[in-house]
Amino acid sequence: AKLQDVEILQNIQFRNTLRQNLCVSMLREGFHRSFAEFFSLLERWRASREAAGPGSALWQQRPLEKHPRKLEPLREHLTRAESAERAGSYVEVYENYLALARFFSEPEDRWIRYHFYELSLLSAGKIKMDSGKREAEANGHMGEVYLEQGPLAREHYEVFYNLAVGRLWQDESGNTHHSRACMGLCRIYTLLAQRQLQTKDYRTAIQILTKAYDMAKEGTHTQTHVSMRTLAYLLSLSDPYQFLSTFAEIATGLDDAAGLGKAYKAIAKSLEMCAYATPRPSHIYTHHIAYFKFLKKTCPDFLNRSSVCVCVYARMCMQGQYDRGSDYFSQAYELACSLGSVPALRKAQACVGVARAHALLRPYSAAVVTGGPRSLLALIRWKEVREDGFVDSSGMWVNYSDNSEKGSKTLIK
Amino acid sequence: MSATINPLANPKGGKKLCELCQKPAYLQCTKCRVTYYCDVAHQQADWNSIHNKACELLILIRSPAPLHSWQTDRDHHHMQTQKRLEQLMELSHAESKRRVSEGKYEEALPAAQLSLRCAMDVYGPNAVEHVPAYLLLAEANMGLGFLSQAEGYLSKAQWTTMKTLGCSQVILHQLHRTLGRLYTATGRYRSALLHFANDIFHASEEFGLNSVVSAGGYFLMANVFVKEEKPDIAISLYSQVTSIWHMHLSKMVEHYSQRGTQGEQHFDEAQLAEVDQMLNVMLEAQQQGVNTHQSAMLSHSLGQSALLSHSLAMFWFLCRDHSKALDFGRKAAEFSRQCEEQNSLAESIQSLIQEVEKHITIQQIPTIQQ
Repeated sequence: AKLQDVEILQNIQFRNTLRQNLCVSMLREGFHRSFAEFFSLLERWRASREAAGPGSALWQQRPLEKHPRKLEPLREHLTRAESAERAGSYVEVYENYLALARFFSEPEDRWIRYHFYELSLLSAGKIKMDSGKREAEANGHMGEVYLEQGPLAREHYEVFYNLAVGRLWQDESGNTHHSRACMGLCRIYTLLAQRQLQTKDYRTAIQILTKAYDMAKEGTHTQTHVSMRTLAYLLSLSDPYQFLSTFAEIATGLDDAAGLGKAYKAIAKSLEMCAYATPRPSHIYTHHIAYFKFLKKTCPDFLNRSSVCVCVYARMCMQGQYDRGSDYFSQAYELACSLGSVPALRKAQACVGVARAHALLRPYSAAVVTGGPRSLLALIRWKEVREDGFVDSSGMWVNYSDNSEKGSKTLIK
Repeated sequence: MSATINPLANPKGGKKLCELCQKPAYLQCTKCRVTYYCDVAHQQADWNSIHNKACELLILIRSPAPLHSWQTDRDHHHMQTQKRLEQLMELSHAESKRRVSEGKYEEALPAAQLSLRCAMDVYGPNAVEHVPAYLLLAEANMGLGFLSQAEGYLSKAQWTTMKTLGCSQVILHQLHRTLGRLYTATGRYRSALLHFANDIFHASEEFGLNSVVSAGGYFLMANVFVKEEKPDIAISLYSQVTSIWHMHLSKMVEHYSQRGTQGEQHFDEAQLAEVDQMLNVMLEAQQQGVNTHQSAMLSHSLGQSALLSHSLAMFWFLCRDHSKALDFGRKAAEFSRQCEEQNSLAESIQSLIQEVEKHITIQQIPTIQQ
């Protein structure tokens, strides 16, 4: 009789669908919860496919029940989790669910991953012996999940943080749970603050951003540009000088060249914006210079984009210091020449022209005002040749390099 | 009622066979004159089972076709016969089913046989429509203890379903459940589990995952695991069945209290007996658990007992046996107090007890007045 049963079994396996075979094989061993899980997952897929309707992307996909490579491990882990649950070892249950969540890593299986992260959180709550490590982990995973869906992850990350604070738990890659929690919270707070910014609720936004900054500081992870970005928001929102020191601290403590560049740029830009309200040209000037020097040090393709910016920024700081301003303009012009980009060149030309004209204006008007034979002579000579130089009243000969000629001429035209 | 016939006097080629055992017949039903029996016992059995209802229908079906000269007339007659056959098949099937559920297997057999014969006449020799009749025959035989006959019928049924593509889930579910019960009875537990697994799968496909139908499958499966001495699996299955039934009954009670329908029958006789037996078996198992298990399992057992008693109370309430409902309701309240966890459960138990008491007082008032 036994042989007959085996034969029937083999025949049935070829006749029936994979789904039925797997379901029956689970049920035979009494794994009814695994069966329910498995069955409801497939049903959910089917329902969402029906809801999407024919012609949608989901409709075109290969049905989940025709992926033996996905279904076999699913059954394997589910049954293992259930037998572990029967035996009362929830650690194993948790690990099996986590393994499943990691297994379904493809984007179209995202909902399965979420589902198993939820289950692992549930089973982690039942583990009593590890002082909450797995619960913390599970909360961290849930946080990530919700972060992908939207910033609903705050609660999970806060639980994660509270459980992980003061512990030395590490994950596989060697990061501590604590720093991960901090990073996650920082990201969430930034997201939340962005929402607040959209609704123009600046006060709460700043509060949340301060929290985010605290988290970033506490996490001490190498990706400090997160805190940079946070600070940039702070700067753009409130009084920039308040945060200037912190900012410079981070910037100097960094090896990250791109991050440093961003830092200087952010400072310069924010200062520039504030310059209209509280004119402190010297501050702006120094930061622009710092930014420019930094640009000079770093790679030339970074200059490609930035030389033009330098031109524009320098216009601000040249108030009153035309000669030095035009000096930087000529450097920008040189850069534009070496890069060979026509729009940058034109812009630089125009800027140089403006600067030169401004620089010329002062001795010229001085000469007109003072009068006297020497200045008259100088005026006449200048008018005759229309040179790019001018002898001012002190008798100094103001002259500029040849390559800036075109600039002034374009301006005169 | 019966007239004697002599087989030697039959016309050539026309053999008269007993309705039940297919042996040469010596008796004829005088009412319809188309049914024959080998002896009085068989005639009596058939009469008790189905013939008293089928007698008149059989006259129309079995009497030879009158001579029609037109093709259309002949077709019409054929159609009519087919229709009557189907009618008879349904009638005998229903009758046999009723007898099986009442436990009168002896009386169910002739009806089931008639149903099968009609199905063969209507649908030809190998049709999936025979399966219900086979299942009934198998069940009746199992009830009588004729396991080998039952297995024969079931393997016929299985063969038919195997040959039919796209067989309906309900039929497959019933077939596998009967097969599982047969193998449980014969002690082949592995095969029984395989069939119950198939049964639950098909039932879930048709009725949904947490339906009462699949709960029946889980229960039978749990019984097999008990016999295989794997109590942990059995307990987990029992708790699944308990939760399904508890949910189902709670919904029914809620429905009942909202609509307040009177006179509506929630369960038929067979279901009533089955559910009662099932819930009681599980309650006993859990109470054994309460007595024997260590403290870790104790609260689980108590919780399950509370759920089961509550289910039973709701069940008897729906069946309008209010004194039983009250008994079980008090039991449930006791259990839920002991396990001290499920607050919502305790509340619903209390409200049920109140409802039941109200009904009891309403019933008592007329008797006092009389």
